[in-house]
This record gives sequence, C-alpha cells and structure tokens, in this order.
Amino acid sequence: MSQALDHFIEQYPASRPFINWGVTAGSVFLCLLILPARLPGMELAGISPNWLLIWVVAWSVKRTLWQGAIAGLVLGLLQDAMTAPFPTHAISLAIVGAITARLQKQRYVQEDFISVALIVFGMAVVAETITAIQFSFEGGRSLLEIWTYHQFVALSSAILSSLWAPVVYFPLNRWWESMGQSDSI
Amino acid sequence: MFALRRWWDRYGIQATLTSVAIGTALLIRQTHGGVVLETYQWLTRPFLSKPAPPAQSSNPEMLELQERLIELESKNQRLEELLGFAQSAKAKGITAPVIGRSADHWWQQVSLGRGAQDGVETGSVVRSPGGVVGRVTSVTARTSRVLLLSDPTSRVGVMISRSRAMGSMRGNLGNRAVIEFYEKNPDVRRGDVVTTSSLSGRFPSGLPVGRIESVDTAKSPAPEAVIELSAPISALEWAIVYPKLPGETESLPAPAPSDVPAFSPTPEESSTPSPTAP
Repeated sequence: MSQALDHFIEQYPASRPFINWGVTAGSVFLCLLILPARLPGMELAGISPNWLLIWVVAWSVKRTLWQGAIAGLVLGLLQDAMTAPFPTHAISLAIVGAITARLQKQRYVQEDFISVALIVFGMAVVAETITAIQFSFEGGRSLLEIWTYHQFVALSSAILSSLWAPVVYFPLNRWWESMGQSDSI
Repeated sequence: MFALRRWWDRYGIQATLTSVAIGTALLIRQTHGGVVLETYQWLTRPFLSKPAPPAQSSNPEMLELQERLIELESKNQRLEELLGFAQSAKAKGITAPVIGRSADHWWQQVSLGRGAQDGVETGSVVRSPGGVVGRVTSVTARTSRVLLLSDPTSRVGVMISRSRAMGSMRGNLGNRAVIEFYEKNPDVRRGDVVTTSSLSGRFPSGLPVGRIESVDTAKSPAPEAVIELSAPISALEWAIVYPKLPGETESLPAPAPSDVPAFSPTPEESSTPSPTAP
C-alpha cells in the first residue's frame, strides 16, 4: 500500500501536498467520528479519551507555537460543533497546542511514546482546568459543583487520553515523517 | 507592493490553507456538526440492536396496578374534558436508537439516530421507559442531539406529586438531580415521586421524573432535595421522542395570569389599614 503510494507520489510530485493534507484532514475527521462513541475498553465512568486533544499534541510536538495554536483553534471549533458552542473548546485546545510546541523547543522531552503519553497527561489536565475556569466565569453552574467535577474529569480524562495517545500519535508521526517536515506547515 | 508579493510567495500557501481550515471548522460549527453526525449515523447503522420488546410483566400485582392506572387516567381525562381543558389527542412517539454520547466531558448529551426526516423537531421531549430523559437541542436530517436532564444547565419546573410542592430542578451529573423548592418549608420526604409541573415551559406537565433520595431543609437560600432520576440515563439504548403538540405552547402560560388576581387582594388589604392609622 505504502509502496504504491510512494510510487504514485514519485510519478506525480504535484499531488504530494494534496495527499498530505487529505490524510491530515482525514485523521481529524476520524477523531471527530470516534468522539461520541463509547467503545468497550475506552471508557472510564462514562468518560472517554479526548481524541482531539491527543491529535493536537501529536501535531504540535514537532511544530512551531503558531502552528500548534492554530491547529488547536480549528479542532476546538470542531469540538464546539459536536457539543455546544459556549464555553468554547477553542481556547483550551489552542493553549494546549501552543504549550506543547514550546515544550519541544526547550528539549525537555525526548520524542518517544512515553514522553508523548506524559505530555498528553499534563495537557489533558490543563485543558480541563481551562474549561472549568470558563464555566466558572460563565455562571449557571455552582462553583463547588464545577470544581468537584473538575477533579474527577481531569484525572479520568488524563489517564485515558495518555493511555490511548500512541494510537493516534504513531501513525500520524510516521506519515508526517515520510512526507517530510519541510513541505508541511 | 513588492513586499506584499514577497510575503505572498513565502507564506501564501500557508495562509490559504490556514484560512481554509478555520473556515471549514467555522462552517461545521455553524451547522452543529451535521456532516459528522450524519456520517456517524451511517457508519453505526449496521451495529444497532433491535429495540427490546416491552417487558411482559407476569407479576399479577403489577398487572393489577397497570389496570388501575389506565382506569384512573381515563377517569382523569373525562374530568378534564368536563372542566373544559382537555388536552388534544396524544402525540405519537418516535422510537429512536441512542447512537452516541456526549463529545466532551462537561456536557451531558446523547445523539439519537432519528432526525428531521422522521419528524423530530428542536424542543421535542425525549422519554424512555421510566421517565423523562431530556429535550432535543439540535436536529439534522437523520440525527438529533438531546440535552439530558442530568446536565447542570437543563432546568425543569417540577412538582412533588403527593403534596404538590413545586420547585425547579437542575441536573447534577450521573443519575442525580437537585430540586430547589420555592417555599421555605415544603412538604417533602424521602421516596416521594417527582413529576414535571405545569409551570415548566419546556415539558408537558405530569411526566414522571424520579424519586426523592434525600432532603436538606436547612439549605440556604432555598431548601433542596436530591432526586434519583427514574430513567436509566447512563445506560440509555432507546428513547422515544414526542414532538411538541401545536396547542402546547399556548396552553402553558395560562396558569400565570390566573394566579395574578389571587395575589391582587393583598396590596388592597395592606393599603386599607393605612387610612385607619391616622
């Protein structure tokens, strides 16, 4: 399959960015499709992994701050579409993308699946905290309820997301490496 | 001009792709993820189970209770007809499979596999065997999204069916909800049945919601009670959607004006002592 694809790209070099972007967009669409599903083994007390957060981390690990933030913004808007637009998920995911991109520059983390899982763990907590702050400002829910629920949701989401992170990270990372970092933004 | 040209040569493709990505995301957001949900519904269709047949109760006590309920309901309807506010014919429910749960961790929502094509509308009431489940918030052609009663943002006017004490209920995650009572000293105890009240603008009155689990009368500013929702909200597989009846929205505000004359004598009474004072 990959050989046939390589052959096709060699024959038609112009198609290369289109295939690259097609696969990238397709992977986002797959993450969106799996969001409402609760498959056995992917659920902990009704909470499933935050697939879009894993995608944003996988994307931002080797990219610049702005690329990470914009990817977070786009995926956050998509998650708004799947749930409710207020408070928006774009802020939390954009911040996650930006922080992940900064981490890589300081060379604190080696690039392997354990460190990616660790980054996802931390970022899931960051994202849920930002959402909880947004809910606190919005009103409508009592502060006590929000922050009690936040503890539960941040921990479950962080554990599950970090466990499932390699499933998204590995294929995407392989693909982007094979496409070459230089011509993908 | 030259600087602009040079900028475009360098960043043109990136800028275009970024705007296309943001534009697409905004479009999907505006349509409430219609494309994604439709695809999801199409993909999950082969995996859906058949709706379970209604459980035939073999318990004779249960059968007797059901018969008494039917008898009482028909008697009640006859009395309402005599009084002149009989509801029009009951709406026929649409049975819908639950195809997905909430797409994030903060909202308590489910997606149903029936949509506008099958007659589901925004605002339709969703029930399951056991009681009310929630309300439809957005609809696509073949799917609909339901905000569950257990979501903290969904508020419903409810009533204790034994003592007619009224309050407003908000969701409290999982299978629980909290009622804030309007009165300072409501007549309520553990095990009381809770139904939707006639003051609820979003739900028809008299639908079963749940049972009182615990009462906290010392709570300030209003006494509170925790109720256990009777519908199996966390393990929902099928639900029944009842589109709004045409006359329902008109009939609902009716109780409010009738209450006004009942309170109006009080200012007159309070004004009468004042001339006697001097």
